Amino acid sequence: MVFVFWRPIQVLPRIALGPGFALVDQDGARLTNEDLRGHLVLYNFTYTGCQAPCPQTSLVMQALQARLEQLDLQGLPVTLITIAFDPTRDTPEQLRAYAQRFAAKPDTWRFVSGTETQLKNVIGGGFGVYYQPDTRGDFTFEPMFVLVDGTGIVRARYRTATPELAIIERDLGLIATEARNSTGAARFAYEAAHLFLCYPA
Amino acid sequence: MTHTTIDQTTASTRSTSRRTIPWFTSSLVVFAAIILLFVLWWLRPQPFHGMLLQSPERAADFTLTASTGAPVRLSDLRGKIVLLFFGYTTCPDVCPLTLAELKQMRQLMGDQADQVQVLLLTVDPTHDTPEKLAHYLAAFDDTFVGLTGPVETLSAVATGFGVFFDDHVSAGHTASHAAAILPVEHTSTVVVVDAEGYTRLLFPPGMSPADMAEDLKQLISKNYLFKL
Repeated sequence: MVFVFWRPIQVLPRIALGPGFALVDQDGARLTNEDLRGHLVLYNFTYTGCQAPCPQTSLVMQALQARLEQLDLQGLPVTLITIAFDPTRDTPEQLRAYAQRFAAKPDTWRFVSGTETQLKNVIGGGFGVYYQPDTRGDFTFEPMFVLVDGTGIVRARYRTATPELAIIERDLGLIATEARNSTGAARFAYEAAHLFLCYPA
Repeated sequence: MTHTTIDQTTASTRSTSRRTIPWFTSSLVVFAAIILLFVLWWLRPQPFHGMLLQSPERAADFTLTASTGAPVRLSDLRGKIVLLFFGYTTCPDVCPLTLAELKQMRQLMGDQADQVQVLLLTVDPTHDTPEKLAHYLAAFDDTFVGLTGPVETLSAVATGFGVFFDDHVSAGHTASHAAAILPVEHTSTVVVVDAEGYTRLLFPPGMSPADMAEDLKQLISKNYLFKL
């Protein structure tokens, strides 16, 4: 009753399993979904040759990177990952240059890419993001951000090139609060909130 | 003197109120409160030990070759709870440990065990033939089914279930590299697909067989809102 009417606790839905992947980052190092266990991860999808009018989703990541230090996430580490979907041109060197363009901090924001098959599996299959190369060597794609929690479960998808930072920050906060309350009696309350679909509006 | 007067007044008020609420009404209220508490306790949600997913979409379907040699489609297994685990027969530690735990889980399920199907999807299809998988799994539980197939299919299936593995083919390695028997690094979570085909639970590595059995029984009873 309490949960149906008062909604004392809000949680983000556990939407789906985040994809498993092993891709290569801007330094040529392997990055897997297992390396990100315990991290809250926000993903965006683009290619290094993406120039306006191509939607600049990395600008949102850059703005969020600047805000992260002011957020109180109770010690939960946040990682930003940009997955680049051009297997031929998004080499580690290109990714490094792209990272510099957005002043990415190497320990917070990583840029990965892989082979065509891997990318198709991970981006198209796993994250459900549509992208398609065109004849000029550019890509048409659906701008999307995906928030994955520390257990590898997708908790939010933002299907726009310009999501409100305030909403992403609220969602990061909701997951951090839930993670802190994941033991003992508080877990009952949080699991009840999941069962009664106490999701933010 | 004054104190005594006050005490006497309070005492008389108390005895009056006791007289206005008859003993059977008050005992009825107490009784109702106990019943209410009992009902609320009975109705409390039962958290799962694993992570419960409320996914709006069914798990992506796939067809692979079973250790029996026959093709198996995930959607053919509707009506059963399917546990997917990714591993390989020459895996040194995590796979035998998890399979032993899954075997124990089935034993703990008692007569509900036949509603649960454990699948081992190989992450080393180059070496894990259906025969080899069958031989390997027989050592654990003869109801376990091993699945193999083209590495591209297995890789896509694994990705969808949140599992990565060192897939030497799509990573662009040479054929000789892929043919060598190497340890295959992989995610070792167990994914639970419910009887309707939805990805429902995620068992993190190291979850006890008792906790898994309890979660699956709860899933079978379908009472994950209330314990009734």
